[in-house]
Amino acid sequence: MSIPLPLHEPSPGAKTHCPYCAFQCGTVISGMPQANVTITGDSDFPVNRGRLCIKGWTASVLLNHSERLTQPLVRGTDGRLSPATWESALDLIVRRFQETQASHGREAVGVFGSGALTNEKAYWLGKFARVVLRTPHIDYNGRYCMSSAAAAGNRAFGIDRGLPFPVSDIVQARTLMIIGSNPFETLPPISQWFEQQQASGGTLIVVDPRRTPTAESAQIYLPITPGSDLALANGLLYLALEERLLDEQFIRTRTTGFDAVRRTVLAYHPAETERRTGISESMLRQTVRLLAKQGPSMILTGRGPEQQSKGVDTVLGFINLALALGQVGQPGSGYGCLTGQGNGQGGREHGQKADQLPGYRLIEVDAHREHVARVWGVEPSSLPRKGRSASELLDSLGQPDGINALMVMGSNVAVASPDASRIAKRLDSLDFLVVCDAFLNETSAFADVVLPVSQWAEEEGTMTNLEGRVIHRRPAQSPPGEVRSDLEVIVGLASRFGFGRQFPSAQPRDIFEEFRRATSGGLADYAGITYDRIDEQQGIFWPCPDENHPGTPRLFADRFYHADGKAKFHVVEDRPGGDEPDAAFPLYFTTGRYLEHYNSGAQTRQVGELSKRRSKPGLQIHPELAQHWSIDDGSLVMIESRRGRVEFFAERHPGIRPDTLFAPFHWGGRDAANILTQGALDPISRMPEIKLSAVRIIGVRPPESMEPRT
Amino acid sequence: MKREQLAIIGNGMATSRLLDELLRRHALNHFDITVFGDEASPCYNRILLNRVLLGGEIDEITLKTREWFAEHRIRLISGKEVTRLSAGSQRLWTNDGQEYYFDRAIFATGSLPRIPLLEGMKRSTGELKHGVTAYRTVADCELMRKTARPGRPAVVIGGGLLGLEAAKGLADLGMNVTVLHLFDTLMNRQLDHWGSTMLRQAVEKLGIAVRTSVGTKAIVGNTKVEAVQLKSGELLPADLVIFASGVKPRINLASDSDVPTNAGILVDDQLRTQLPNLYAVGECAEHRGQTYGTVQPVYEQCVVLADVLCGSKPDAAYQGTKVYTRLKVVGLEVASMGEVEAKEQTDEVIQIIEEQKQTYRKLVIRQNRLLGAVLVGDTSCAASLTQRFSRGDLLPPNRLDLFASSFRSNDQPEGPVCQCHQVHAAQIQQAITAGCRTLVELGSRTGAGTGCGSCRGRLSSMLMKSKTADAICPIGTN
Repeated sequence: MSIPLPLHEPSPGAKTHCPYCAFQCGTVISGMPQANVTITGDSDFPVNRGRLCIKGWTASVLLNHSERLTQPLVRGTDGRLSPATWESALDLIVRRFQETQASHGREAVGVFGSGALTNEKAYWLGKFARVVLRTPHIDYNGRYCMSSAAAAGNRAFGIDRGLPFPVSDIVQARTLMIIGSNPFETLPPISQWFEQQQASGGTLIVVDPRRTPTAESAQIYLPITPGSDLALANGLLYLALEERLLDEQFIRTRTTGFDAVRRTVLAYHPAETERRTGISESMLRQTVRLLAKQGPSMILTGRGPEQQSKGVDTVLGFINLALALGQVGQPGSGYGCLTGQGNGQGGREHGQKADQLPGYRLIEVDAHREHVARVWGVEPSSLPRKGRSASELLDSLGQPDGINALMVMGSNVAVASPDASRIAKRLDSLDFLVVCDAFLNETSAFADVVLPVSQWAEEEGTMTNLEGRVIHRRPAQSPPGEVRSDLEVIVGLASRFGFGRQFPSAQPRDIFEEFRRATSGGLADYAGITYDRIDEQQGIFWPCPDENHPGTPRLFADRFYHADGKAKFHVVEDRPGGDEPDAAFPLYFTTGRYLEHYNSGAQTRQVGELSKRRSKPGLQIHPELAQHWSIDDGSLVMIESRRGRVEFFAERHPGIRPDTLFAPFHWGGRDAANILTQGALDPISRMPEIKLSAVRIIGVRPPESMEPRT
Repeated sequence: MKREQLAIIGNGMATSRLLDELLRRHALNHFDITVFGDEASPCYNRILLNRVLLGGEIDEITLKTREWFAEHRIRLISGKEVTRLSAGSQRLWTNDGQEYYFDRAIFATGSLPRIPLLEGMKRSTGELKHGVTAYRTVADCELMRKTARPGRPAVVIGGGLLGLEAAKGLADLGMNVTVLHLFDTLMNRQLDHWGSTMLRQAVEKLGIAVRTSVGTKAIVGNTKVEAVQLKSGELLPADLVIFASGVKPRINLASDSDVPTNAGILVDDQLRTQLPNLYAVGECAEHRGQTYGTVQPVYEQCVVLADVLCGSKPDAAYQGTKVYTRLKVVGLEVASMGEVEAKEQTDEVIQIIEEQKQTYRKLVIRQNRLLGAVLVGDTSCAASLTQRFSRGDLLPPNRLDLFASSFRSNDQPEGPVCQCHQVHAAQIQQAITAGCRTLVELGSRTGAGTGCGSCRGRLSSMLMKSKTADAICPIGTN
């Protein structure tokens, strides 16, 4: 690889944000460019207030990494990826996309985006799909992230913003319940807010099948059975009814639809809830009394309840509970979703989701199509309609009437998707695959063209963090080699397709100006936000309709976003998941993340300090279950589901339910936890059910066995 | 496609649940559904009856209103009894002579209170004397509420789940209540001797008198009850006499229609009766020799029946229910599941009796699986036990682990306190012993707490515990 040469000298101590999760810690990058870079937490940024986790401060390794892609790669007739020029790579992509569309129709080309892309990229990519390719099939990995919480928020509140309040509101919650989220390991710097909440006398309740570090820090831990979160929500509301804990006035004045919900939850007797959830009645009562009587109360969910085939209903169940107790709207109360990906929030608002256009507009609503088409200078009728969701899009790869050519930007779908063996087959069956990334990964292994693109500290743009705060990603150094930005890739392709006029610039600031107009008047209105204002105010909360508007840190103080200004209750009922344990596969299997790694591990597995500490996925197993199988720490345990087998090394841990196994999903190949998982879809959000699968143990080998793998 | 006519006879909890399950499977694509309910009131949740007894409105416990039926386009014929059904001609008739055709019909007729025949219980008109009632319907509760006078005597016949709930309700209304029970221990179906003894103490503490091993002979009074006469001849004065001596499946319509019955309407694993196109579900059904009187079996049956009717899971089969019972009305938590006594010589029994704490816990184990359990006073492990019980999980070798709540056990792993810098508790303790008094000092000596900071809470409490708590002051970052 060529030695990268800096294009310009970065200023020492450049302020930007971490490349990883939705907490988007403010960071300061200092040291000499291209060498000895150090990253520290930015104590001026009011979200992380100087704190940073190990992923954040080791991210400097990514900037000058020996494995970094610096030249486009094209797969030759020998089947190997070899360096190519940008011109030839882009020409090839355009030719193959055109051929595919000529022989199979426009819809045969698909685009897969990412919650890691900046708002400008998400916007440009969505516009590229709709205006240049004119394919309906664009979706992104955010479907695996918070799509269930998003759909629930839209239904209940008329708007979807992960947290409808600033993260600092957490401190004011006298009771805080976190369901199926482990922020102490997944967004560690957020823990300061929980600590402060507890230090000021608040109570923390954590619901999780595993006693995670987050659960360890809680006063009340509810060890829930995987997949029974909805039964818990309804069961708690039953007890609130029984103990007359409802806020009748709030229900009457600020909500609609409670009566039907009330009648439905009458069926969730404590004995039923105990049997479904595995949580004792006394704990259930204690929990609901705290939520009702020791307010303000806040309920936060993570991927646990959301990544289920009933994810939307589950979130609605908890929103019902919060509304019925009158715990929404005042500081310290409310329902929020702890978004996962760096720009999971912005990524879903600006048009890389199959059913959406920029500004949280909907592609099936005529008025919305007209507004966006006008900004884009195209006929509304030329815009495609709603396309396939992420899982369905990937399922259709290489299938009749499916997608023959795909462009993936910033997502390692081969690792992050459920039922990974199936996804590998689907990727392999494509005629043509383009991957834009900074490193080779499990997905690019299937690619025909790999484009080396710039990453976080090498580029500029805006991100929207889990609070709905729009922040400024600033460049600290220039990218190495021939690396281009995703925006340049899109512009390069668009101009070759003859759409140079619609894609006049690859500069984020230029694109942001058009993007502001496109979002203007939408639910997620960014029209009043400028880069300068972000810098001055440490971020601006959307909606922000004009430059004199201060932004909206809290959404529901006076009204909700339905036409009548009220929040809506929704009748939701518990039901089995897509793959519940039975006699043949008697154990639950669930996945999650390690402190040391981020999502598919495409970035963090490249960081020596992180991969040294966690080089392989361990299987968390309760000592009681381990004893039945004579499993010791380090034993190699073969786990089988209806979809495949994976061998993990065992880590016995008394904090996990004895009926549940856990492994992280950061690895690919035969270490991929997602070989085991299933993807039954939520009927509303199309979220695949990653958090709940039935498995069995089929073999145990002693630690570091020399025997060959079965 | 022409839709089939589906008749559901009964409008109780089973029907409510069945309708939910059917709608979830889009049953209205296949069926026109008609529900026949003989009570004029809407279907309500019987388990919450005591709410009505204590002054609540029926609406508070109503599961499905008339509006609900209209909104979901399900026909509701209420206030009329189905008096005749012909399996052969697939027709049924209500007591007003109206005839209805059906393709398939479901008996969801529930159960009736078992009321023993006692001398003098009825008036000359054949009705029960004033003040004598079962504890089964909203009307029963309203009557009880109207009749109850503080300081006046009431007698509840039956010391089971329902009887104790009725007794508690009447005591809350200020009455002097006596519970009469035929057997020698309360809740004898769900509890063993020790469990019942503790329960009895709790009941008596509420001021409710309990008489066990007593039979009732007669109801004394003219048109209105004045006393209950025991088999011994003793007279117990009473303004109110409540029968809570169990329920029996309501099968008269089925047996009159030549549907084979035993104690209940006989059904197979698909809830089919022995006549074509006729099904039964809930408390009126008898499956593998078993009838049920709690909601959980009803719910499980409804899932299977809905799958069978809609064809959504043609091989769905009801396997019977492992019954789990909860009681809390008397201020004492009680949980019971399965067999509460050992039956075979090899069965293991584990009992923990804590008389001072008024708790009792018992496990019955057969072949390393839970056969039953009784929990009184402390039911914190009931939820995990009932899961193990209903799934038939293998049990841990140390049975006492089963009583630990929240799956905590003593062998907590010694993970690092500070994840970022992998600093373990022992190192931190060492540093504190060596004189570290603040987070700053701890941080600079060990590195702990200088990463993401999520362990600072725990570090602070370690500092506090070591009584060197002169400070939890904020430290600089990294």
